[in-house]
Amino acid sequence: MGLTLPEGAGTTVSSMSPNWMTTRMDALVNWGRSNSLWPMPFGTACCAIEFMASAAARFDLSRFGMERMSFSPRQADVLICAGRLPFKLAPVIRKIWDQMPQPKWAISMGACASTGGIFDTYAMVQGIDTIIPVDVYVPGCPPRPEGLIYGITLLQKKIRGESLLDWDLRNEQMTGPDGLFVPARKIDEVSEPFGNSVHQTRSA
Amino acid sequence: MMKAPDVAALRAKFGPACERSAVSNGDHIVWVAKARAHEILAWLKTDQGYAYLVDITAVEYRDPELPLEVVWTVRNLKTVQELRVKVGLDPKAALAVDSVVDLWKGADWLEREVFDMFGVLFIGHPDLRRILMWETYAEGYPLRKSFPLRGHFSRSEQTRQALAGQPESHYSLEELSIADEYQNLPPDVRERLKQGKRGFVE
Amino acid sequence: MLASYLPLLLVVAFVILNAIMMPGISVVADLLLRSNRPTAVKRSPYESGMPTLGEAGERFSVKYYLVTILFIVFDIEAVFMIPWAVGFAQLKSMSGLLLIEMLVFMLILVVGYIYVWKRGAFEWD
Repeated sequence: MGLTLPEGAGTTVSSMSPNWMTTRMDALVNWGRSNSLWPMPFGTACCAIEFMASAAARFDLSRFGMERMSFSPRQADVLICAGRLPFKLAPVIRKIWDQMPQPKWAISMGACASTGGIFDTYAMVQGIDTIIPVDVYVPGCPPRPEGLIYGITLLQKKIRGESLLDWDLRNEQMTGPDGLFVPARKIDEVSEPFGNSVHQTRSA
Repeated sequence: MMKAPDVAALRAKFGPACERSAVSNGDHIVWVAKARAHEILAWLKTDQGYAYLVDITAVEYRDPELPLEVVWTVRNLKTVQELRVKVGLDPKAALAVDSVVDLWKGADWLEREVFDMFGVLFIGHPDLRRILMWETYAEGYPLRKSFPLRGHFSRSEQTRQALAGQPESHYSLEELSIADEYQNLPPDVRERLKQGKRGFVE
Repeated sequence: MLASYLPLLLVVAFVILNAIMMPGISVVADLLLRSNRPTAVKRSPYESGMPTLGEAGERFSVKYYLVTILFIVFDIEAVFMIPWAVGFAQLKSMSGLLLIEMLVFMLILVVGYIYVWKRGAFEWD
């Protein structure tokens, strides 16, 4: 596998070793955080409809504590990017992500948010992980509500594995000096066409 | 059912400027000469009652011998007649037609879209700049056949340019004055707008 | 007699202690457990991801200030009338003098009222 973690990724646990106090505190804090994730629905396209369906009566998101949708990033825990992201909208989602206070997580819902989906074109971002750090990818076009709920429970499991001693975990990952969040060669690498897309390079 | 538009009257009035006409799936199409396109559309609007401009778009065909067509679809709401007026341009030469903003105000954004996607200049348009792509989009005109699907720049370069974009500069002076916001802008944004630092053409 | 107020004092003391401790404990727990990573972009005002357009603090109309000031002045006049009314009821022998005295007081304020009226402070628009 040629992919390596970007510089600065990974976490370091502090010199204080975990003991019964910190693990109990971790359990309490993580239980509180994972069961009260207030989503910021960044819904741009069809996946947003499916997100609304997940929040509605039959598939009820409120049993996961996500009843209160926050449309202000200041009061949100998890940014759910539901739908394709045009390049024109890229600085907007970056700014909204930057304006969310820690602790924050991101769910990339659907194929377009994860990889660009069927839109391998001049106008679409090929996956929001080229712009913001993503914790859980939910595949589907659109994913069924059960799929999104599975992604949410995965995120809850991830949160429960976090530790307060992990100081670098909650560091802000800002855009680099060249204006990119991920190194340029990494963006080009993950945006390579595959499958039937390789035949769509011709012009005229 | 829609009535057929009076193509014969058009041909009688303008003669050789009306090059040919056809009926395709119930839609009436007429090709006109570029030099008199504005005059013909004005006559259609004022004399024949085609008061509603449905759409302005452009077509570039797969075969390079065929001209690049700019298409106006006009509709007579009283008699329920729809007519498609086409002008053929040489795809290898510079693309320019007269703007119809003076006839239909709605043509403003429709022509901006055709300019953004095909690069067709609309002479006489008050504010011709990109509308779908961002103001300073430098890769070209996306719907031309010579434009590859993924664009000319690499994905990282496109992401970099997108993240560096200033969403504020999408607004024009007129739009900001409608929103009563021009005087509230910071001075450097006002300077930028006054100098017209956008990707538009005089 | 003061001793009968002791239970009330205990209740009030408990309430005050509660009012201080409950948010105090929340704030202390927050300071210990939070992850505080302020950045310049994070502190910038939120406008749906766009750069901000316009000022946040809008100017208020001065008419609200005028209404407040006038209310205070005439409310204090009414406040002065209340103990005067008590004295008026108790001193029935001097009722004529007391009435004239209050009318003079009110007349002084009516002069001010007419001035405010003529200056147009009662116009809302």
